[in-house]
Amino acid sequence: MKRFFDGYHPEASRFFDEVMTGEGSPRPHYDKLLSRFGQFSVDDIKARREMVNIYFRNQGITFTVYGLEEGIERLFPFDLIPRVVPSEEWALIEKGLTQRITALNLFLHDIYHTQKILRDKVIPPELVLGSPHFRREFVGITPPRGIYIHITGSDIIRDGEGNHLVLEDNLRTPSGVSYMLQNRQAMKRAFPVLFEKYKVRPVENYPQELLRTLQEVAPHGRGNPNVVVLTPGIYNSAYFEHSFLARQMGVELTEGRDLVVNDNMVYARTTRGLERVDVIYRRIDDDYIDPLMFRPDSKLGVAGLINAYRKGNVTLANAIGTGIADDKVIYSFVPKIIRYYLGEDPILQNVPTWLPGNPSDLKYILEHLDTLVVKAANESGGYGMLIGPESTTEEQERFAELIVKNPRNYIAQPTISLSRHPSLFNDSELYGCHIDLRPYVLNGKTTTIVPGGLTRVALKRGSLVVNSSQGGGSKDTWVVDE
Amino acid sequence: MLSRVAESLFWMSRYVERAENTARFLDVNFNLLLDLNRITPTENPDCWIALTVATSDPEKFESLYGEYSARSVTDYLVFNRSNSNSIISCIGLARENARSIIESISSEMWEQINNLYHLLQTMRPENVQNDPFSFYREIKNASHLFQGITDNTMARSQGWDFIQVAKYLERADNVTRLIDVKYHMLTPQTSREAIGLISSVDIIQWMAVLKSCSALEAFKKVHLSRIKPENILEFLILDKTFPRSIHFSIGAAKEALWRLSGNSTQKNLSNSDRLIGKMEAELSYTTVEDIMERGLHDYLGDIKQRLQKAGEQLHLVYFAYHTPEIEPQDESKALPFTGVAGGRANWSQAQQQQQQQFSLRKNRARNNA
Repeated sequence: MKRFFDGYHPEASRFFDEVMTGEGSPRPHYDKLLSRFGQFSVDDIKARREMVNIYFRNQGITFTVYGLEEGIERLFPFDLIPRVVPSEEWALIEKGLTQRITALNLFLHDIYHTQKILRDKVIPPELVLGSPHFRREFVGITPPRGIYIHITGSDIIRDGEGNHLVLEDNLRTPSGVSYMLQNRQAMKRAFPVLFEKYKVRPVENYPQELLRTLQEVAPHGRGNPNVVVLTPGIYNSAYFEHSFLARQMGVELTEGRDLVVNDNMVYARTTRGLERVDVIYRRIDDDYIDPLMFRPDSKLGVAGLINAYRKGNVTLANAIGTGIADDKVIYSFVPKIIRYYLGEDPILQNVPTWLPGNPSDLKYILEHLDTLVVKAANESGGYGMLIGPESTTEEQERFAELIVKNPRNYIAQPTISLSRHPSLFNDSELYGCHIDLRPYVLNGKTTTIVPGGLTRVALKRGSLVVNSSQGGGSKDTWVVDE
Repeated sequence: MLSRVAESLFWMSRYVERAENTARFLDVNFNLLLDLNRITPTENPDCWIALTVATSDPEKFESLYGEYSARSVTDYLVFNRSNSNSIISCIGLARENARSIIESISSEMWEQINNLYHLLQTMRPENVQNDPFSFYREIKNASHLFQGITDNTMARSQGWDFIQVAKYLERADNVTRLIDVKYHMLTPQTSREAIGLISSVDIIQWMAVLKSCSALEAFKKVHLSRIKPENILEFLILDKTFPRSIHFSIGAAKEALWRLSGNSTQKNLSNSDRLIGKMEAELSYTTVEDIMERGLHDYLGDIKQRLQKAGEQLHLVYFAYHTPEIEPQDESKALPFTGVAGGRANWSQAQQQQQQQFSLRKNRARNNA
C-alpha cells in the first residue's frame, strides 16, 4: 500500500485532493483501492492496461479522424484508477440535481407560457427574450407531461474546500454517457477483485431507464410508442454514442433522410413502407433539425418536423428551446429560479458569476480581469474566452473593450482550481490531475439519476482542460454503498 | 427495417464480394502467367488488358498508367483509391457502409470488416509483388470469414436476406464478366466457330478460369477431365449446384428476394422478384447449345443488363421508398448501380462535422473555469 502511492504529492494546500487529506493520509473510502493497487507491480498494471485497450478497440470506441482515404483512429484516453464517491456525497449530488432540473423545467414551462417569473421581475425580461436560444415559435405549446428537459448532463466541479458546484447545465444534447457505460465494462474486466471489494452501485440499467423515460413522454394516446434516435450521421464525433444507445435500447438509429413528415405525422421509411414515429431522441441541435423552420440549408434535419411537434403528434427529447435555460447568463439566475419555483434553498451551489450588464458587476470585472475567467454567454459568439491569470495585458484590454461594447454577451467567474485525483502516467507514474463529474439525469414521470457519471480528467500535467481534444480523458466513477 | 439500413447492408455485402472476386481474378492471372512463362513473358500486356476490362474501366486505367503490365494493373486493381472498384476502395466502402449501420450487424461482423480494412491500410505494392499468392489468399479468406461470421451471428431476418441478395447478384455479375472476357481472350478469332479444337495451352488457360471460381475440383467431379470450353461454360453458367455458377447465384438471389417480399406463390410479384425469377427460370431450361447458337458474348451481355435492371428495381422497391404525394421521385437519381454510393454522400459530411465543431467549441469554452 505504501509503495504504490509513496511518490504521490497531493499538494493539498492548493487543491482539493479526492484521495488524500491535507495531512497526507488517505480518505477512508479510498482505503481498499490503495491497498489493492499497492499489490500491483508495473507489469500488472501494464497487463490491465492492455486488457482495457483491447476492449475499447474491439468495441470500436475510438475517436475518428475519418475519411475513405485513411482512417486515423485513436482510443479515448482512459485512466485506470477509478474515482470513488461515497454514498452520502452522491446523495447530495442526486438531491441537488433533482432539485435543479425540477426548477429548470418549471422555468422553461413558465417562459413558454405566462412568463410569470419575468413579470415578477426575478429575471430581467430582456435577458430571456433577447437570447438567441429563446424560441418564440413555441410560446403556448405544451410538450407531453409538460416536460422540456428529458436528458441532462450537468457538469459538477469541486472547489478548494471540496464543495460541489455546478459549472454548467447541458440541457440540449449532452453527450458522453456511452463512455460512462463502457468505462464500467472495461473496469469490471480489468479489476474484478477490487470491484468486488467495493459495493459499487450499477449503472448498466441506463439504456433501459432512458427508453422508459422516452416512452413515458410519448404523445397522448400512443400506446406502445415507437421511439427512435436521430443522429446527424457517421461523421459526427458522437456517432458511436448515438449508435451505441440505439443498440442498447433496441430502437432504430435514424438520420434525417430516414424520416418523412406527412399530414403532420412523422414516419420512418422502411423496406415495408412508412412507419409512424412517436418519440425522437434527437442528437441534432435545434438549428439543424428542420430546414423549414430553422436553418434552411440543413441537410441533416427533417422538413416539417417542427409542425408535427407543435401539433403534438411527436415528442422531441429534449424539447426545442431548452437552450435558453443553459445560457450562461441565465445560469447565474438558477439559484433564484430554484427559490422562486420551489421555495427552497439550492442544494448545489453555482460558481459565483458576475454579469457585466449590472453596473456594479461591470466595474468589478474590469478591475479584476487579471484574475477572472471571462466567457462568451453563447458559444456562437465565437470570441472565445479570457483566462485572466494566463492572459497578457493586451488580451485583457481587448476583452475589456468587447465587454463594454456588448455586456449581454459575457459573464465572468473566478478562476477555480478543480479538485484533483491521482492518475497514472505511462502506467507507472502517479500525478494529480484535475477532474470534473458529469452525471446524467433522466426526467420522465419521475426523475432518475443512475449512480455514477462521466469523470473527465485533464491528463496533461497541470492542465485544467478536461476536453478530449486537448489531452483530456476519463475514468470510471464508482458510487459505493458504505 | 429502415430503407437506409437495408441499402447499407446491401452495399456492404456487394463490396466485400466484389473485392473477393477481384482478388480471385488477379490471383489466377498471376498463376496462369507462370504456367505460360515459356510461351509468353509475364509482362505480356494482353494478359492484363482482359483483366482490366472485366473488372473495371480500361479508359481510366490508360489515362492513369498508360501501359499494361503486372505492376500497373495490380496497382490499379488493388491499391488505386481513385478506382472505385479497386480492392482497397471496395473494402473502404464496405466498411463505411458497415460503420453507418453498426447497430444492425453483429459486433463480430464489424470487427472482421474493420480488421480487413486496417490490414489493407498497412499493405504496400511491394508486399503483393513479393508474394501475390499469400496476399490474394488473405483477401479471399477474409471475405469467406466475413460471410461465415455473417451466417453464424446474424438473425435470419430481412437484414440477412438483403446481404444474400447483394452477394449473389454481385457474384453473378462478376462471373458473367469473367467468362465474357476470358472467352474472347482465349478463343482465337479463327477457331471461334470450331471450339472443339483446342491446344494444351488453351486447356491450361481454361483451367485457370475454373480455378478463379474455385471450380476446378467441382468441375472435374461432374465432367471428369473433359476440359472443353462448352463443358466449362455449361458448368460456370448453368450448373445448379455449384455456389459460384451464374445459375446458382441467381437462384439464391431469387430465394432471398422472395423471403423478403413474402412471395411464395407467383401472385403480386414486385418488379425485382419478377425479373430475377424470370432469369432463374430461363437458366433452368437453357442448354449450352442454346447459348452458343445465340452467341456467347450476346448472351452474357443480356445477363449483365438484366442483372443491372433487377438491381435498379430492387432499389426502387426497397431503398428508394417514397410517397409520390409528398415528394415526387426524380427518376435520374434512382440508378444506384452506376455510382459507388451505398448511400453515403458527401453533402452531409460538412454539416455533421460542423455540428461537431460547434460542440467542440462549446466544450472548450466550458473547460476553462
